[in-house]
Amino acid sequence: MLSIRGLTVHHQLQTLVHPLDLQLHRGEWLALAGESGSGKTLTSLAIGGLLSADLHAHGSIQLEGKELLHLSEPEFRHIRGREIAYVFQDYQSAFTPFITIGKQMDEMIRAHTSLSRQQRQHSCLAHLEQVELPAKPVYNSYPFELSGGQLQRAAIATALLLSPKVLIADEPTTALDSLTSRSIIQLIQRIQQETGIAILWITHDLRQVQRTADTLLIMKSGQVVESGKSHSIFFHPTHPYTVQLLSSIPKLPSRYRLELQNKQVNT
Amino acid sequence: MSLSIGLRYSFLTLFLLFLIVALVWTPYDPYQIQMGDRLQTSSAIHWLGTDHLGRDLLSRIMEGARTTVGISLAILFVSLLIGVPFGLLSGYIGGWLDKAFKKIIDAFMTLPDYIFALILTGLLGPGLVNLIFAITAVKWVSYARLVRSIVLEQRQKDYVRLAEISGMKPWKLVVKHILPHTIGNLLVLATLDIGKIILMIASLSYIGLGPQPPSPEWGAMLSEGKTYFQTAPHLMIFPGLCIVITVLLTNSWGDFLRDRYDVHIQSHSAKRSMSSILFRKGV
Amino acid sequence: MRIFVQKITGLLLFLLILSFISFCLLQLVPGDPVRSMLRVDDVAVTDDQIQQMREQLGLDQSVFVQYGYWLQNLFSLDLGNSYMTGRPVFIEFIEKIPYTLMLTGTSLLVMIMISLPLGILSALYRGRMTDHLSRIFALIGSSIPSFWLGLLLIDLFAVKLRILPSMGEGSWQHLILPSITLGIAMSAVYVRLIRASILESSHQEFIRSARARGVGKQRIFTFHLMRHSLIPLLTVFSESIGSLLGGTVVIEVLFAYPGLGKWIVDAITARDYPIIQGYMLFMSIFIVLLNMIVEWSYRYINPAIAIDPRKKGVTS
Repeated sequence: MLSIRGLTVHHQLQTLVHPLDLQLHRGEWLALAGESGSGKTLTSLAIGGLLSADLHAHGSIQLEGKELLHLSEPEFRHIRGREIAYVFQDYQSAFTPFITIGKQMDEMIRAHTSLSRQQRQHSCLAHLEQVELPAKPVYNSYPFELSGGQLQRAAIATALLLSPKVLIADEPTTALDSLTSRSIIQLIQRIQQETGIAILWITHDLRQVQRTADTLLIMKSGQVVESGKSHSIFFHPTHPYTVQLLSSIPKLPSRYRLELQNKQVNT
Repeated sequence: MSLSIGLRYSFLTLFLLFLIVALVWTPYDPYQIQMGDRLQTSSAIHWLGTDHLGRDLLSRIMEGARTTVGISLAILFVSLLIGVPFGLLSGYIGGWLDKAFKKIIDAFMTLPDYIFALILTGLLGPGLVNLIFAITAVKWVSYARLVRSIVLEQRQKDYVRLAEISGMKPWKLVVKHILPHTIGNLLVLATLDIGKIILMIASLSYIGLGPQPPSPEWGAMLSEGKTYFQTAPHLMIFPGLCIVITVLLTNSWGDFLRDRYDVHIQSHSAKRSMSSILFRKGV
Repeated sequence: MRIFVQKITGLLLFLLILSFISFCLLQLVPGDPVRSMLRVDDVAVTDDQIQQMREQLGLDQSVFVQYGYWLQNLFSLDLGNSYMTGRPVFIEFIEKIPYTLMLTGTSLLVMIMISLPLGILSALYRGRMTDHLSRIFALIGSSIPSFWLGLLLIDLFAVKLRILPSMGEGSWQHLILPSITLGIAMSAVYVRLIRASILESSHQEFIRSARARGVGKQRIFTFHLMRHSLIPLLTVFSESIGSLLGGTVVIEVLFAYPGLGKWIVDAITARDYPIIQGYMLFMSIFIVLLNMIVEWSYRYINPAIAIDPRKKGVTS
């Protein structure tokens, strides 16, 4: 569905993301992992045309065969939110602080469709319910009235409002405590099963996506060092950096740990 | 950038030269009344013309530069002399002294500088000394406030605690370690204040609360010249231009120094309240 | 409300001290209010008359007694009568307020009309020509004495072009020149503030979130960014209301506009002490009140203040 070929991101003469290939299919959960500064966030922003003006992306990004990189800003606007949706790490900045959640969700639907007021409100409430929030109160509250987990759920509901094809989640659970973040991951898993949405999950913590991700892409200093089916990478990492990442996971089931230790002895 | 720095330095040098010349020499006696030569426009004899009493305008402007710039520097100096020690003491000693001081600051902040100075000169009566007294009474507070906030900030730093633990004498600690941190900020605030003080003096003496005639002061000259500004606009234009140029010079230097030392005096309180308003999040 | 009470009590304390100092100063200053008062009538004054007047005004008693009387009367808002007109200070003050408020309001309007577009443009085109020009405007604007600018404007519009009245009050035309003068003087600061605030807001991450939702550029600018930029501006504005009123003084004198500023300057010139003291007191309260009103208006822009932060989290 989403197919990236030879994507590079430059800042003046500096190359921040080296040619990157990526395929994301319907219903797939792809995890893009790497330490901070590895270029994973830049890649995710490039897909939606959200790079700041001093950064330039080249290569090809196709969504269902449609080339995105050459779109003008107004054309891109119609893709963002409707076909590609984002959830960011900083849940406090997911919504503008002084506008109610409901108004911002409503604003998004209005930006893309011409539904009536009732239809829009109905859709917003339904989506808030889908993420297991008390729909009506959340709809009417300001962002600062919600807790972190509630905000991130509301952000997910907003992202899913227009049934996008791809959800790009940029470390959506990093700023949350571990219990909340697990429930968020479970929520997204459930939604994926229900809707078949393709998910590009960006994280620095492989532990998070161990069980959920189908495909893994490991990045380091702007380059993809390893990619493939997640279980095969978890069992047979080839690149030393991946090994390092995996060994930094504290609680691996013992069979993984054994495998890993053998691997490290061999290399 | 280097061009503008060059310009800035050369303007400053020119201005200082003008002041130095004005200190020792004026083309004519600025107080010499020549009723036969009154309200003349620019000529080879009187470069900037003469005023309603036939006095040479250039000489009066030069004499006025001494008064205006002199007064503002005097006010600045006294304000620093009172404000800095007060801020240091209040910030370092803390306790009831600081609490009382904060009350004083708050009270001072409610009445705007200009109105406060206006009322004080009003009560004291017009005149040079009273004007200096009134503006100083208003101005010292901002220096004390600035120094106090820096002291409070620095006191939290580890090096100050270390010095305290190692038994350094308090006055030595304050003078040697904390005072140097205030210099950049004070320099910027003082430079920007020269312009503000000059404007305040000018506007108070325009109202008639400044130095009394015949002593020339730029604002007072404007006030005198206003009566004749249809027949002799130069009486109004030249002293005004002098104020603008002087304030422009100190303001641009102030901006320059502020960028250089990267201090945010004005935005201090505003920034804080902005972030506290914005980031009071319900988490 | 608590802040208001705090402010008022702090202020009253300050005024108490200041008014006492002012009372002491009165004893020292040269110039006799009684003489200047009687001289208004322009007849030969005898010593008997002066003495009689002194007793009538209570000026023959000690400072402390006088101060006691003054404080006593203060509580009934009676600050005595003006030496010049013989009318109660409080009434005169109230009468002058609308004039000054009117002038302040129109100047604010001019200020907004100048600084908002300039600030927005220089933020949008930062580092370009517009930005440099607005910087120069701000620098010059903050260096020009407002009364001098006013004189130049009078010269141009009232004397040379003869299209606007220069002095006095009565029609809306009389407000034009004073408001433009004050408006220009004020906007110098706000152009840069607006620019800085917009730039600061545009780096906020919630702007990116709104973009990621596909909201249009114009809408993001007006509904998300501008509103966010207004919050710090309002803070600065509420802090500078006092200096704004201070700025009206010299302009009112220049344009012979009968507001609070001209009133106090006339009183100072005539050594009309009841007015000076009354002005000091009422002006402080007036400024605190205005501050409160502006702070109140925050909550419409930023609801985070209006809603109790303790009531966080929506319970399900």
